[in-house]
Amino acid sequence: MRNKRQVIIAQTISTLVVVIFLVPVLYTILSSFKGMAELFSTAPTFFPRQWTLANYIHVLSTGRYGRYILNSLIVATTSTIIAIVINTMSGYALAKFKFKGSTVIMIVILSTIMLPLEIFMAPIFKIITFFGMYDSLWAIIIPPAATPTGIFLMRQYLLTIPDDIICSARIDGASEWQIFTRIILPNAKPAIATLAIFSFMWRWNDYIWPLIAIYSPEKYTLQLAIANLTGEFGTDYTSALAISVFSMIPMLIIFIIFQKQFVQGTVESGMKG
Amino acid sequence: MTTKVQTYRNYRFKQKVIPYIFLTPNLIIFSVFIILPAIIGILYSFTDRTLFTFGSANFIGLENYVNVFKDEFFIKALKNTIGLVAVTVPLMFVIALALATLLKQPIKLVGFYRSVYYWPVMISAIVVGIIWQWILAGNYSLFNTTLDSIHKLLSSLGVVSGDFESSPTLSDARFAWVSVVFAIIWSRSGYYMIIFLAALLSIPETLYEAAEMDGANPLQKFLFVTFPCLKAARVMVLILVTMEIFKIYPLVVTFTGGGPFRATEFTVQYIYEMAFRHYQVGFASAMSVVMLIIVTTFSGLIFFTSKRGENQ
Repeated sequence: MRNKRQVIIAQTISTLVVVIFLVPVLYTILSSFKGMAELFSTAPTFFPRQWTLANYIHVLSTGRYGRYILNSLIVATTSTIIAIVINTMSGYALAKFKFKGSTVIMIVILSTIMLPLEIFMAPIFKIITFFGMYDSLWAIIIPPAATPTGIFLMRQYLLTIPDDIICSARIDGASEWQIFTRIILPNAKPAIATLAIFSFMWRWNDYIWPLIAIYSPEKYTLQLAIANLTGEFGTDYTSALAISVFSMIPMLIIFIIFQKQFVQGTVESGMKG
Repeated sequence: MTTKVQTYRNYRFKQKVIPYIFLTPNLIIFSVFIILPAIIGILYSFTDRTLFTFGSANFIGLENYVNVFKDEFFIKALKNTIGLVAVTVPLMFVIALALATLLKQPIKLVGFYRSVYYWPVMISAIVVGIIWQWILAGNYSLFNTTLDSIHKLLSSLGVVSGDFESSPTLSDARFAWVSVVFAIIWSRSGYYMIIFLAALLSIPETLYEAAEMDGANPLQKFLFVTFPCLKAARVMVLILVTMEIFKIYPLVVTFTGGGPFRATEFTVQYIYEMAFRHYQVGFASAMSVVMLIIVTTFSGLIFFTSKRGENQ
């Protein structure tokens, strides 16, 4: 009896909480279809009185946003591919080889989590400039591709692959690189999928690296461009809302398709870009 | 015979070298872009380097550190940040655990609820800032007009009287600060909920059955079965949230911009502005080192207090 009441209460609270999590996003999406007059109306309504694509047309016709979206796509995709290769390589070394200093390397990798890049933005800027990477997309593609959590995730997964497969490949005369590309990569697919989705999300949503490394407007990423729409003199909502929706759409699609991987990834490694 | 020995030696040598080769790309990136910046930052903090000093800068000893603690805006940003950690970390912890406990109940549509609670995690901090600014800023925001209609409804029922006075907006310092806390929790609690949920689901049901046989009520079951079993998840969530709040910045950029009057300016923003707007890299680096010490102390404290609890 008490148990049944408990379930009903839990069900009610869960539904109410849904409102808190959903309404802000819904309202933003709906507002992006409102005309200028309605956006600054003194009596705003939840749904647009008159649906219009004016904000989207405005955003797309200025052209620059197409460029920003493209830049974000290039950065997120390239960085994710690099992240998969190098983090799987490291994970493989740490999972399947016994060598001097492996524990030390593991500790060093994990302790880099304790050095937040947000705190050392100025030295990072100096280093990027030193390597001639300033104002280049490579500066926001390569450095963030190496993530301690990615290595950790891959290592944990690769530990479950039996040593016998690797040994028999060696006996058959496969080179170490062949073992990696023909055996390790295909067998690590589930973990790679998780890493790929997270990496794409981190890079798509990233603000700090572009903020440090990008100067020219034609190299802006979407997040950098959105951030520039706000300022001391208020926010340009006509563009900001529509472009924010653009920024959320790829994530929404990925999220709907790969929900399981997200939950799994969060659980397995406490993933943090 | 000799060829076999050679092959074996060759194999042994390869087995020793190959892991290092596989680790090289990652270790180079870590050294150059994570470890080196920290070292350089520490070195810079003792110099008068600016953003455009490319040669060597003058060594000025501890002058930057002395000035850091004389800088009233830094002190204010530091106070704001520590206050934010003190308020947001426990709140996030409790809310994430509450959500996880909620979804552990045998209710319908669990998968749907879990997805909806998790979804804001996928939205960039920049967009989260835009969303909440759009809802909260100004006198004609959704928030304000909703409060207004609730007031009208209540006054028509005779519950309250008088006209609705506009609620505080983001130009009110305290309201802005509370809004930042709210936005952080809104956007991140789903993430920590998942960590707790996984830990909750891994607690064996037999423990609860045993507790029930001993006549434990729900509160006792939570305190004496659930909570102790969540040890690892608790420490992990505490450390991750603390680190995250200490480096809060992008969300504030589009949400409040640090205002009004620096009420929501936190240390990372102040360090950024000192380095990239005022070009005082040496001075900013001293603040970075102070921050690094504080962050490390906090996470160290959490880690070691949890270790000590283990031995008892």
